[in-house]
Amino acid sequence: MRQVAIVAGGEAKAGRRAASWRDLVQEAGKALFEDVDNLSPKDVDSIFVGAAQPERFAFLSYVAPLVAEYIGVTPRKVIARTELACVSGQAAIRYAWNCVATGMSDIAVAIGVEKMYPPDMAEAQSTMACVLDREWDGVNCFSAPPIFAVTAQRHMYEFGTTKEQMALVSVKNHHYSSLNPIAHLQKEVTVEDVLNSRVVAPPLSLFDCCPMTDGSAGVILVRAEDVKKYTDTPMYLIGSGQCAIGNVINNLASLTEWVPLKLAAEEAWRTAKITKDDVDIAEVHDCFTISEIMEYEGLGFCEKGKGGKFIEDGEPYIGGKVAVNPSGGIMGCGHPLGATSIYHAIEILKQFRGDVDRGRYVKGAEIGIQHSLSGAANQHSILVCSREPR
Amino acid sequence: MSKVKFEKIKRPEKIGLPFMLDFYPLQDEKNTRISQFFKNLKQGHLTTTKCKKCRKLLWPPRIVCPECLSENLEWVDLGVEGELYAFTEIRLGAPLGFVEDVPFCVGIVKIGSLLISTRIDDAKYEELKIGDKVRLKVVELPDRRVFYRFYKTKEQ
Repeated sequence: MRQVAIVAGGEAKAGRRAASWRDLVQEAGKALFEDVDNLSPKDVDSIFVGAAQPERFAFLSYVAPLVAEYIGVTPRKVIARTELACVSGQAAIRYAWNCVATGMSDIAVAIGVEKMYPPDMAEAQSTMACVLDREWDGVNCFSAPPIFAVTAQRHMYEFGTTKEQMALVSVKNHHYSSLNPIAHLQKEVTVEDVLNSRVVAPPLSLFDCCPMTDGSAGVILVRAEDVKKYTDTPMYLIGSGQCAIGNVINNLASLTEWVPLKLAAEEAWRTAKITKDDVDIAEVHDCFTISEIMEYEGLGFCEKGKGGKFIEDGEPYIGGKVAVNPSGGIMGCGHPLGATSIYHAIEILKQFRGDVDRGRYVKGAEIGIQHSLSGAANQHSILVCSREPR
Repeated sequence: MSKVKFEKIKRPEKIGLPFMLDFYPLQDEKNTRISQFFKNLKQGHLTTTKCKKCRKLLWPPRIVCPECLSENLEWVDLGVEGELYAFTEIRLGAPLGFVEDVPFCVGIVKIGSLLISTRIDDAKYEELKIGDKVRLKVVELPDRRVFYRFYKTKEQ
């Protein structure tokens, strides 16, 4: 297998955008090709398009050729859309990586997009609620907020986690997103703001939840030996782990211990030949405040049940044990499903390049992970990224 | 004024909830091979399939056992009582067809070894706690399809 690197990243501004699905793709595509030397869209031989629900959000299907057309790519090797709900973007990176690693492709684009603000919000919620098994869980209105609400309730019940501890995650991530110009939300919040925000599904309030967001982001992957042609500051993909257990609520491994995350992390450390202690930056899936707390635990940054204490002690801040979501995370940057993982991969690339605000710069970072989860947290994916080749 | 011709065209002003946005499954034998589940529910019985070969109790009901691939499954009655394992209340962000019900409680009910998601009727969030005893109820849609829900019993 050939070693593979990301040589460029391009993003549309995330947010509630006065722009269509295809406008977003064009913005990201332009930014992507402007971020790389000696490479034009016509040089790309393969493209993967991460799009979770274009059928619902944009009433479009068969979107990979549409995106290729709009960003000027005419793939001669491999083209496909990837769908894995909130992990659709990382799925695109994984397929592109595989194609370049095996030699099926030499230059591949992974680009994600989602347009999540249609005119009717109840229709958008219907779209979200068919991610969980629609006939057995969605029908009971288990969409994202309720499933993470009951997860939080059980975590509080079993481990004594508090709403104040959960609020601290929101405070940290809004702080970092306030320093990130592409982020959806750029305003700081306090613990009181979080606790006093409107209740969505108790114990979760509005600022415990990530926003719905329009966005698009893309990366270019090439084989490591070709990197120097395109950039002086690449990011190498050195390991990965992915695991899914069960789907309907009854068949989850556990509500309060994310076993698939634990297994994906073990596999990621093994394939990258690192330990959790080598991780300098963790861009993790903070779709809800409870998610990030359970990710500290599942990734092994702290003991099971001690995720609340971990943030209380300031450990996931820059300068703590590990910098968790210095981008501002999903909570601050927003969650355009198909593009989310790609935004966060680009964040690690920017950190390696030192191309971020000093207030959220993780100096000297060598290893970053990009973690995404989907559904009822029954599926977890981790990419391990390195500044240096391995 | 432009010389281009302008014309107003007609579209239906209002479209009812289309089938593909209806959360409730189709239930008759023309549309599903687990129609027995809904026939049983109409009689007041919450049932599921159990594999006769490997004895695995399956939720939701299946036509093939994912553990041993046997098609030799039997219907078993899950009874009418369960224990509240976790719950919340939908206050914002309900999907189409449920907006009118807000606020309402949903939860996960423990019945033996199963954890079944469901609406929790006739209770406010503040009136519920983990471990509460809940009881089966069957709701009927205007088109006579049925579904299960649970409610908190007076005797705890």
